[in-house]
Amino acid sequence: MQININNLSFAYGTKTIISNLSLTLNSGDYLVIRGKNGSGKSTFIKCLLGFNQVKSGMIFYDKVDITGFKSWTRFGYVSQSFDDFNYEFPITVGELLSISSIKKTTESERLRLLEKMGIFDIVNQNINSLSGGQLQRVFIVRAMLNTPEVLILDEPTASIDKQNKEFFYNTIDDLHKLGITIILITHNDDIEILNYTHLLSMYSDLTTSFEERGVELTEGVL
Amino acid sequence: MFLSFITDLFQQDFMLRALIAGIMLGVLAPLLGTFVVVRRLSFIADTLGHFSLVGIAVSLFLTSLGVTIFFEKPLYLGIIFSVIGGLLIELFRRSYNNFQEISMVIVISLGAALSAIFFSLSKKTGSLYNYLFGSILTVTNYYIILILITAVIVAVLFILFGKQILAVSFDESSAKFLGINVNLFQIIFIIMLSIVVSVLLESAGVLLISSMMVIPVAAGMKLGWSYKSTLIISIVFSELSVFFGLWLAYSLRIPSGAAIVSINIVILLVVAIIKKIVLKQRISKLDKIQ
Repeated sequence: MQININNLSFAYGTKTIISNLSLTLNSGDYLVIRGKNGSGKSTFIKCLLGFNQVKSGMIFYDKVDITGFKSWTRFGYVSQSFDDFNYEFPITVGELLSISSIKKTTESERLRLLEKMGIFDIVNQNINSLSGGQLQRVFIVRAMLNTPEVLILDEPTASIDKQNKEFFYNTIDDLHKLGITIILITHNDDIEILNYTHLLSMYSDLTTSFEERGVELTEGVL
Repeated sequence: MFLSFITDLFQQDFMLRALIAGIMLGVLAPLLGTFVVVRRLSFIADTLGHFSLVGIAVSLFLTSLGVTIFFEKPLYLGIIFSVIGGLLIELFRRSYNNFQEISMVIVISLGAALSAIFFSLSKKTGSLYNYLFGSILTVTNYYIILILITAVIVAVLFILFGKQILAVSFDESSAKFLGINVNLFQIIFIIMLSIVVSVLLESAGVLLISSMMVIPVAAGMKLGWSYKSTLIISIVFSELSVFFGLWLAYSLRIPSGAAIVSINIVILLVVAIIKKIVLKQRISKLDKIQ
């Protein structure tokens, strides 16, 4: 899937968060978005996913304007805090996955994905008994169930300890090698260990830079 | 006393009808209750109940004017108004996205006000007590058939859309990536809930509907380790409440809805206390090992 963003701007009320951002991603790209808190990373993702209504600028998916885009099942999304998810009500990992697949995935397919993420043994555990890291991986499995073309991860390692980070990023690399377009938000300190193809840096003064790895800085928009 | 209750249960028609109605409602109420609790909308049943009451009051008012076609059974208009109330909640919920409870306050207030007005106009305020507190011991065969139809409708909707409704209930924002039309399923759920609430109104009363839906689930959550187990435990607690509630109502000659809810509360308290004791014991065992 090709993603085109042209002169995207977004504001909460009168406060501008994103100003004139443009970039193009092709199928199989791995974009890392970095920036400090408040630089607009998550807001940008919410624009991409249609949660924030874009009023200035354009977003196209395979040349279809986002306002008319309907094929959201081509996306997998793992949010940062899962605020909307109700953790307190008992539901096992297996049950959650079984209600989260749009195609008829068999149990063995779901177990294989859990095994791939290193959390095979928690399939019968209650969601509210999992650690932050386990939960993140469960949500990635959930996003992967429907074989998305684009996987968007908002600070997926926020609740994972340092030892598990590398394992986690290796898994993301494996998914990227399968041809899935990855868009990942992260903090600056992880950038060294990521095998991204494109990097978008966002700054609190609304400036951004978009570069392709190994290629000189292609864009710097003020 | 218990033996005479059991004998009467199968010899007296009204007792048997109450038991059959209770058993069916004992499944329906917590089944819908789990969805309501997952969505953190525990007060929605109360709100819909108040709006259903408007339908009943309007029906009584129309009857007092001599208009009886279709409105003869107040419950019909109760169901229609409950659905209207549910759709109003959805409408307001979208305007106050981050303050969803506001939508319920608006609808419950409107429901209470309109009910009072139409009950007063119908000059049948005397029947208000029955609608507020309900009575499962006075249900008719007709009402039992109505519950059965409701149960079939709910079962069909669950077989067809249960997975999607559960997915939307647990995580509304991710549902669109599963190809679920969130708005459509919200409306299916709200219509289903509105119908069940209206049917519950006759036996539990407006003031106790929420209790029958939510309290067994609150107790079930304390013991359940999965969605399925929580649902089954909630239904078991709900059925126990119906059975022992009927016994209490029969023995002490007290309102049946109140008796059922009281047993529900007792079960919740017992479960909470036992769980706390077990947890304390486990912690002290772990402390000793360490």
